[in-house]
Amino acid sequence: MLKMTHLSKVYRTEVVETYALRDFNINVSEGEFVAVTGPSGSGKTTFLTIAGLLETFTGGQYHLDGVEVSNLNDNERSRIRNEKIGFIFQAFNLIPDLNVFDNVEVPLRYRGMKAPERKERIMNALERVGLASRSKHYPAELSGGQQQRVAIARALAGSPRLLLADEPTGNLDTQMARGVMELLEEIHREGATIVMVTHDPELAARAQRNVHIIDGQVVDLAEDPRFHQAVHAARANSPA
Amino acid sequence: MQIKPILSALRRHKAGTFLIAMQIALTLAIVCNALFIIQQRLAHLAEPSGLDEPNIFVIQNEWVGASTPEQLDAKMREDLGVLRALPGVQDVTLSNSYPLRGGGWDDGVKLTADQVQDTTGATIYFADERFIDTLGLKLIAGRNFRAEEITPMNVRDRLGPPVVMVTKALADKLFPAGDAVGKTIYLVGGPTTIVGVVDLLQAQSVDRWAQSFAYRSVIVPKRLAISLGVFYIVRTQPGQLDAAMRAAPKALFAHNPRRVINDEDGVLSFKEVRAKAYERDRGMAILMGLICVTLLAITAAGIVGLTSFWVGQRRKQIGVRRALGATRQDILEYFLTENLLISCGGALFGVLLAVAINLWLVTRFELHRLSLVYLLMGVVILLLLGQGAVLAPAMRASRVSPVEATRSV
Ligand SMILES: Nc1ncnc2c1ncn2[C@@H]1O[C@H](COP(=O)(O)OP(=O)(O)OP(=O)(O)O)[C@@H](O)[C@H]1O
Ligand SMILES: [Mg+2]
Repeated sequence: MLKMTHLSKVYRTEVVETYALRDFNINVSEGEFVAVTGPSGSGKTTFLTIAGLLETFTGGQYHLDGVEVSNLNDNERSRIRNEKIGFIFQAFNLIPDLNVFDNVEVPLRYRGMKAPERKERIMNALERVGLASRSKHYPAELSGGQQQRVAIARALAGSPRLLLADEPTGNLDTQMARGVMELLEEIHREGATIVMVTHDPELAARAQRNVHIIDGQVVDLAEDPRFHQAVHAARANSPA
Repeated sequence: MQIKPILSALRRHKAGTFLIAMQIALTLAIVCNALFIIQQRLAHLAEPSGLDEPNIFVIQNEWVGASTPEQLDAKMREDLGVLRALPGVQDVTLSNSYPLRGGGWDDGVKLTADQVQDTTGATIYFADERFIDTLGLKLIAGRNFRAEEITPMNVRDRLGPPVVMVTKALADKLFPAGDAVGKTIYLVGGPTTIVGVVDLLQAQSVDRWAQSFAYRSVIVPKRLAISLGVFYIVRTQPGQLDAAMRAAPKALFAHNPRRVINDEDGVLSFKEVRAKAYERDRGMAILMGLICVTLLAITAAGIVGLTSFWVGQRRKQIGVRRALGATRQDILEYFLTENLLISCGGALFGVLLAVAINLWLVTRFELHRLSLVYLLMGVVILLLLGQGAVLAPAMRASRVSPVEATRSV
């Protein structure tokens, strides 16, 4: 589904070059649920934005669904994002000017879907996240957990094959985080490939596979002492 | 198109939307009316005088010292000879006034002797037998004056010529059947017979007071023998105007120095006459044009400003939209559509406002009713202006990277 080989990403400013990713290799198969962990600044978000075609990379190769993405133009990338990928962000990223229904509708409109189909998909997605009754509410009128569920509904409505989540529970309390996690697991069981960045080792443990990133590289968990330190530190910080 | 979500999003930005829509409405209302006024002034400017304007100039001559009417008449006839002898001069006549001059003699015309109300007003031009040829008028019925019909006229004489020529406009007004020649009409001094009809000869003024008889002129066979303000009208051969204009006053002074020809406006080409006559109309048109341009510029700036502000404010959601699959084109269209919706709302209100302003002008300043064309023109101008103004900020919006969605707030 998702294959990166020797991929690198350099952020250049006038004074410094930052290697956000270097010689980055990963292979996520169709239907996998992968949790990505790693210290702050290690390149997790960078990896997700490249995986989700939000950003280009500096070197190496990235095949998404067998397609080398560096050859795609902006419109093609938009279309793939729209049709194949669902995003869930830490900050929810709902559009504050639109109500719940209209928010979920956004990607479907960009797909050029007809109104009756849009409506059906939106209501289905909202029902799944348990917010069908809130479809006329505005994001500001919802709790964080509810907003994130709307965001999940928005990602779900387009039936994406790949779901990318960047700390989807980062802004939520444990209770809400659990709810969101259960939702993701359900979606996974239905066949979606999920890549989730998380700081929460407990959540990471519930994924099928853990990938650890340090300094822009995937490291082998068993061999790297830094991982154990990181897990340790994360446990100490975690409220649970 | 995504009109519905754009409208619902706008509902969350009422203040900005309302302000811009009102600005558009107001601009539209004023621009419509201003364009209409400009058009009216320009149309007024374009009204023909009937003269061979490029080859005509006029000299205002005043005599110094006392003379009898007979002496004055003799001196003027000598002057006509002097002017006629100048190289490049085709013809010369004299009159009390000429079209676009701004003042002269106008009088009531009646169809019967005992009529109380005038049938119409008319400009009275005093003319000799060279008048219509010199001005370049077209005789369309009857005949020109004969030389022996021209008589001198003192200020105290009554205006009672035995024969007159009239313009077609006047003839049509008085005798709609088209048989004016040979008919009798009544001027203030008594009855007179129409012997000729000329095609077109504008009134001595283009101001409002002369509008009711703008092309209704009576040409009487008289040489006004007064010491003040008689006009020699000179027609030159093509291309000879400037030279003749310079030579004419010199020749007149050489022949008889006891006269005054004002340095500044004693000798005027018809081009100068026309420019002076329409100074106010042109000024008004320019003023209205400036108002339009200024208002449009302010409105465009307002749209650019508000859209830029909105684009800045919505960077994050633009990034989110891009992440969710919007193409650059989609984002561009979003802002263009948003502007179109606001503009349409503003334009709708603006049209009502424009009509209201026009109705007020109609009652207050006797302006004409605004025609639909100007409303449409105003709407089109403002819609295009809006789309144009929104383009730059919308382009900037379309270049927001989808990665913006992941940046922390
Ligand atoms: N736009 C950018 N310009 C310059 N440097 C950047 C940019 N985005 C990320 N970086 C750098 O790239 C590195 C990786 O950042 P990234 O956001 O991927 O880390 P992360 O693992 O997601 O961290 P966190 O857990 O704090 O979210 C960091 O050193 C960061 O400073
Ligand atoms: Mg991150």
